[in-house]
Amino acid sequence: MRRWLLISVPYLWLLVFFLVPFFIVFKISLSDIATAIPPYTPTFDWSQGLSGIGTFLSQLDFENYFFIFEDPLYLNAYWSALTIAAISTFLTLLIAYPIAYGMARAPKEWQPTLVMLVILPFWTSFLIRVYAWIGILKKEGLLNLFLMNLGIISEPLTILNTTTAVYIGIVYSYLPFMILPLYASLEKINPSLLEAAEDLGSPPWKAFWQVTFPLSIPGVLAGCFLVFIPATGEFVIPDLLGGSDTLMIGKTLWNEFFNNRDWPVSSAVAVVLLLVLVVPIVLFQRNQEKQREAGR
Amino acid sequence: MSETQALGASPTATPGAGPTRATVRTPAPQSGFAPWKDPSKSPIVRFENIVKRFGDFVAVKECTLDIYEREFFALLGPSGCGKTTLLRMLAGFEKPTSGRILVAGEDITELAPYERPVNMMFQSYALFPHMTVEQNIGFGLKQEGMPKDAIAARVEEAMAMLELSRFGKRKPHQLSGGQQQRVALARAIAKKPRIVLLDEPLGALDKRLRQQAQFELMRIQETTGTTFIIVTHDQEEAMTVSSRIAVMDHGQFMQVATPGDIYEAPNSRYVANFIGDVNLFEGKVVRVADGFVEIDWGPGLARFKSVAPEGCVADQQIWLALRPEKVRIAFEKPSEASNAVPGKVVDVGYLGSISHYHVELANGQRVRALRANSARTVARTINWEDSVWLEWPPETGIVLTR
Repeated sequence: MRRWLLISVPYLWLLVFFLVPFFIVFKISLSDIATAIPPYTPTFDWSQGLSGIGTFLSQLDFENYFFIFEDPLYLNAYWSALTIAAISTFLTLLIAYPIAYGMARAPKEWQPTLVMLVILPFWTSFLIRVYAWIGILKKEGLLNLFLMNLGIISEPLTILNTTTAVYIGIVYSYLPFMILPLYASLEKINPSLLEAAEDLGSPPWKAFWQVTFPLSIPGVLAGCFLVFIPATGEFVIPDLLGGSDTLMIGKTLWNEFFNNRDWPVSSAVAVVLLLVLVVPIVLFQRNQEKQREAGR
Repeated sequence: MSETQALGASPTATPGAGPTRATVRTPAPQSGFAPWKDPSKSPIVRFENIVKRFGDFVAVKECTLDIYEREFFALLGPSGCGKTTLLRMLAGFEKPTSGRILVAGEDITELAPYERPVNMMFQSYALFPHMTVEQNIGFGLKQEGMPKDAIAARVEEAMAMLELSRFGKRKPHQLSGGQQQRVALARAIAKKPRIVLLDEPLGALDKRLRQQAQFELMRIQETTGTTFIIVTHDQEEAMTVSSRIAVMDHGQFMQVATPGDIYEAPNSRYVANFIGDVNLFEGKVVRVADGFVEIDWGPGLARFKSVAPEGCVADQQIWLALRPEKVRIAFEKPSEASNAVPGKVVDVGYLGSISHYHVELANGQRVRALRANSARTVARTINWEDSVWLEWPPETGIVLTR
């Protein structure tokens, strides 16, 4: 009995905080827009009892889904979000790998401090950190001042309100999520493996690709998923740093919800986004599972 | 260990012979093999005045050593004595602070590990976890750019030699400790290097597997004809496998000699204590005559007579080292023996094939004696509290000056 209770706790948690909200959103996505509070119809009328369920269900349809697949705006936004997320994930990996490698090779007594430094930005609000980038990237911002004073550029660069700024924002914000799993997998590699590779005739740069990189792949995959999945639905960064031409599905969703007050369509957008991300999420889970087995 | 019986039959010390005398035992498979005594042979490995410092810590102090082709050479010592550092310098993982390392006459001190004609078997085995057994063994050959089918043939050969053929497609974590150890060895010999380095290769195995693996190492070393250099802290292992042993302490060689010489003619108390059991009597030289020395080891005690080491003078402080199996134990006072001491048995350990005796002398010192139980029944067994005589001829004790 007690065992059953213990097992049921996580399931209860998932039910209350994931499944129930998901079904609410899914239900709204099947409704129609209405000028009312809440701004959709039908709403469930408890007073009609069982017969009410029938009429209620008969009014639901998949109209909104057809709509978002017909309007190229949504498909473009999905596609653009996936592209931006993929490119920024790759850039994050390029920057994070040397950092994680350096951390894993640093003297053992420094490593906890280095990990602390990586997670230090989390002590400040995400929103404020993204705002700070406006100050850095704007025309008369720190970056332009710095480059102009050095004489590298004569005219200030336009970075803010472009897709470049979005890349910078995503790479910056998600860097720790890439570094930490990479560090975890690199740190586990026995240094004598590299000595063995060198001893057997492999120069260090070759040994990296033959030994270090293959052994860090679980960390690479975990880091990529941890960046790619949330970056796809990112809303704050494109909204604050991106321009009007930066199209991302998270921003579209937000506009649909708050500016258009079209809850049914935005719910449909959210459900489709979830379905799009289910694939990488499942892959991520499988990678974690495999890693846990290899660790045993 | 086969040590005791081999030693029992040995023609021990002739009078006047110093610690350099040719003694006793060379490992059976290599009898007559002694290139270090042949001035026409040049060494395959030469450490020349090697010094290695880590900050303030001196790991290796001015070591000079020659190792010859086809030798199975052991670096033996307690942990932290510098033996692993010496091996890692030969592999190229550490740079000597000063001095040179030569392989076949060529200075390799500045070469990177991947350019050296040596391969190492690591203490942790360091098998690549993402590669199969075959890929692990073939890794070194692949680096040489050897064609695929040639690699496959060489890997097959190495696997056959170590009875690994069935496991070729497995990953290291699917193997037992003993199998992993064999894969590590196969990988180290697959490239047919001139020198194979073994860093505590059997440390992770249990005792029975270890003895098997020791003989396997010797077999592989013999069939491949490669020079093996092994680092170990296990003196029994060093005695079993090697042609010569360098006993190290605090970054210095205490003695470099064959296992037989190390055991029968240690040059210091440190070596005598480190290899096997030994009884030590501290004393003073009374006089030296006819290659023998008379030792005073306490007021009112019968003086000992023993073969004199070179450069021994009167009044010098010395130690007489006596192996337990060389001490005869008897009830009656032996008539013609040169050295005899009475004592009382305080401890008896019956081990079946042999018995251990701890005998307390009049001055309180305890002496260990060993006796083979060669007869099935004995008229009177030696027991606790028995008064006995310990006796040994002057040739069996070793006089140590340091």
